[in-house]
Amino acid sequence: MYNFLTGPLAWFSFLVFFSGILIRSLLYIRGLDSTLDRVTYRVNTSFGIKEAARSIFYWLFPFATRGWRTQPLMTALFFIFHVSLVISTLFLKAHNMILQERWGFSIITIPDVVSDCLTVAVLAAALVLIIRRIALAQVRILSKPSDYLLLVISIAPFLTGFLAFHQFGNYPFTMLAHILSGELLLVVIPFTKLSHCFLFFFSRAQLGMDYGIKRGGMKRRKAIAW
Amino acid sequence: MSQNILCTPSPVNDKEALDALLKDRRGKQYYDEMTRLEVDTAALRKLLNDTCRSRIRTWLEICVRCGMCADACAFYLSNEKDPKQVPSYKIQSTLGEIVRRKGNVDNALMRYAMDVAWGKCTCCNRCGLYCPFGIDMGVMMSYLRGLLFSQGFVPWEMKIGSGMHRIYRAQMDVTDEDWIETCEWMEEEWEDDWPGLKIPVDKENADIMYTVNAREPKHYPEDIAEAAVLFNIAGENWTVPGKGWEETSLTMFAGDWEGAKLQVQSVYDALDRLKPKRMVVTECGHAYRATVLEGPYWTGQKSGKTPVETLHYVEWVAEALRTGKLKIDPAKKIKEPVTLHDSCNYVRNGGLSQCGREIMSYIAEDFREMTPNGDHNFCCGGGGGLNGIGKYRKERNDGQKVKRDQILATGAKLVVTPCHNCWDAIRDLEETYKIGIRQSFLKPLLLDMVVVPEHLKPEKE
Amino acid sequence: MFNKILFATTGTPSCDAAARVAFDMAKRYSAELIIINVFGVPSRSFSQTVTDIRTGDEVDLHDDQLEKVKNELEKTYDQQIKSYTSCETIITVGIPHTEILRLARKKECDLIVMGARTSAEENENSVNRHVVGRTLQGVARSARCPVLAIGRAAASFWGGISNIVFGTDFSKASDEAFKFAFNLTKTFNGSLHLFHAIDISADPFEITKDQDGIEDQIREAREKIRSRYLSKMEGYSDYEIDVWEGIPYVEIVKYARESFADLIVMAHHTKKMDPEKAVLGSTVEQVVLRSNAPVISVNHPARQKKL
Repeated sequence: MYNFLTGPLAWFSFLVFFSGILIRSLLYIRGLDSTLDRVTYRVNTSFGIKEAARSIFYWLFPFATRGWRTQPLMTALFFIFHVSLVISTLFLKAHNMILQERWGFSIITIPDVVSDCLTVAVLAAALVLIIRRIALAQVRILSKPSDYLLLVISIAPFLTGFLAFHQFGNYPFTMLAHILSGELLLVVIPFTKLSHCFLFFFSRAQLGMDYGIKRGGMKRRKAIAW
Repeated sequence: MSQNILCTPSPVNDKEALDALLKDRRGKQYYDEMTRLEVDTAALRKLLNDTCRSRIRTWLEICVRCGMCADACAFYLSNEKDPKQVPSYKIQSTLGEIVRRKGNVDNALMRYAMDVAWGKCTCCNRCGLYCPFGIDMGVMMSYLRGLLFSQGFVPWEMKIGSGMHRIYRAQMDVTDEDWIETCEWMEEEWEDDWPGLKIPVDKENADIMYTVNAREPKHYPEDIAEAAVLFNIAGENWTVPGKGWEETSLTMFAGDWEGAKLQVQSVYDALDRLKPKRMVVTECGHAYRATVLEGPYWTGQKSGKTPVETLHYVEWVAEALRTGKLKIDPAKKIKEPVTLHDSCNYVRNGGLSQCGREIMSYIAEDFREMTPNGDHNFCCGGGGGLNGIGKYRKERNDGQKVKRDQILATGAKLVVTPCHNCWDAIRDLEETYKIGIRQSFLKPLLLDMVVVPEHLKPEKE
Repeated sequence: MFNKILFATTGTPSCDAAARVAFDMAKRYSAELIIINVFGVPSRSFSQTVTDIRTGDEVDLHDDQLEKVKNELEKTYDQQIKSYTSCETIITVGIPHTEILRLARKKECDLIVMGARTSAEENENSVNRHVVGRTLQGVARSARCPVLAIGRAAASFWGGISNIVFGTDFSKASDEAFKFAFNLTKTFNGSLHLFHAIDISADPFEITKDQDGIEDQIREAREKIRSRYLSKMEGYSDYEIDVWEGIPYVEIVKYARESFADLIVMAHHTKKMDPEKAVLGSTVEQVVLRSNAPVISVNHPARQKKL
């Protein structure tokens, strides 16, 4: 079982994940249409690229945009969730040990205690996100079962990983659950709204180009405050 | 197909059909027929396949439904934070459904989509600035309007407006003859006070070709005279086209893509004919959006720009003040507190926010900004054609509360509104809420304070 | 004399006095009478509804409605229309003064007759009771033909024109008004009262101290009237010259009453008003409101036909 999960299934899920990202990104770019989108992506491109870069850059930092500043609590929650999620996954010691074993390389790692804190932060933030989704009328109305399900799928690897690492409960089971949920997440990402993890950059770049090329980018005396 | 006479998917192309629509009081029969209008799902699916591409599909899909767009929307804030007014909800429950069901939707959904597209959104595009993913729901809403128009689910006034453009190449029944006649009339009426005042029609190779909103010849001809006087004082070599003079586009509001193209093409043809160095658009927001920002794409200009450089009126005024073509008598500057309303169409969507500020620095002593302003300004409620749609009058009026409070907070009683629809909306806002404000275009204000060169003054007595 | 008279009305009692004069004039001078009623103001952008001037209601704009308003209007003036055949009724919508001016220009009218205010304007608030309506202001300031305004019912009961008061401020526009007044006087073989008022309200402390100074000014003004107007009167002898001091509009109204004026002719040449003065409007507007004779304001020479 373990061998299957970490062998063929792992390869499969990584394949789906990476090829999914690649294909969807290519499809996104191919689907852009100067006439239908009414943005000349190929004319005055430099204005577009500049604004695309700004559009992404500012939104990557908490409180760097007006949107982030107007909703500080959501912003804090958002960044805690995403930053913890990415750092704790990529720089986890255990993950890097596997990398080292299988492919003979690893990237920098963070102390386990930090990983623990970040994992707890992800779980706590997810809990607040769920509560927020239920509590706030303007978010509740938008929420469908799939929104809750995807949030559960997203945090399952963190919960199971945390349990497995600290050997709470049945270790082999939690470990298998961790691997399986992680693989599930990888497979699900390209096909759901979780694809925002990479399409975010394309979507933001597109709006940036829209503003940079068409919506006054060439006339604005001060660049737009995102 | 059902027995519909007035409410059909085909656009209005002749006077007969237009008159039939106009005869229908407030679209009573029209809306009644709409309840029986069948959705041509095959055509809708084909249209989606042809026009709904990765940008919109991705927007619809990656929305994580975080609700951060809610507070960006003037309608949401004005309606006591009604969740049904959250931009994401508005687009997901309409366009989102249509796309997910591949066009296989029923009459009820289409009519609901119409209520949303014209009664709950002015396409001000503010939400797009507040979505972390840059999902612009205003852009999607105008796309949705196009889908709805193609199926005939469009408010009565919008159908009429689109028909007007298709028949008269103007948003109202103003013919080219009426327009030229009005120019002559204004010239006559104003030349006593402004010796030598001319409104040159169809002059070739002028520095500026000036274009207007059909409401000016129809109801506010003095606006044309004022523009003429200011061009005269500034010493501009200018002209108006006898054909292709109308910049506005109810077709754009209606989602009539084909009609929008026809309208804009008439202006570009005038540019081609008269070969001016530049074009100036009157104080109208959506006219600028339609003819200058979107028009190039409708008519297939590869550059994405108008055939000749085009300025909105605020750009021309800012330039004239900066270069000294227009000089302001310092003693006549506006003394009372005054605020400026940014038109979404040329400020957020056209990048001209600094022009307004520059002009105010010349003409006002106590200029007060609204908060927020410029690119982040709230819509007045008059955008997207909402001013003229009887069916959604209440929605429009309710949606103005944010703007009302913004204006009240400045303490100013005078609101400068260099945009026809904003001007109307602010006037209506005062009528509804009675907060003691008045609104003005730039032209009459400038005329009151500009320094008139000796040779342009009427003969002394 | 007058070939085409344009009577602008809202069809409400506030225009009854003006109607009397309009029909009377048309009949008397066998002129073609065009009645215009701008019944609705565009209020909702490009929408197909207008605000009814009389009721303030939002009404639909379609042929039936226009027909209905036309019938109502013709019923209102039933008696008068019946007794006078050369009459045309035009119902339209728009900004009233714009549409009146547009039509006057199109039809080449040589006189516009109207009341001082619409009923809606009357109702607005008490301050407005002392101000003529925006419509009259707009029309009088820009019209190319003389504009006859009736402010009070008392000004509409007249037998004919024999005493004409011409109030001047010695402006260029007043010269045009004079030409008109004189031609009118000649046509009716009437008597022309040339009048000027020294404005002592402008600078009360300086001038009122010194009555000698005022009287000097009066003498000067009389001289001015003589040189400026009498020379152009081709020896016409039935005239009077008077110069009084005071607040101009009050003096003109008093003078008109004392000289049994049938008509007051004045120039109305202010296009742009100083905002501080705009509250009361120009002198001529105040005279319209207060006088018991109709007031004709003359503004531009261009469209004045040879009488």
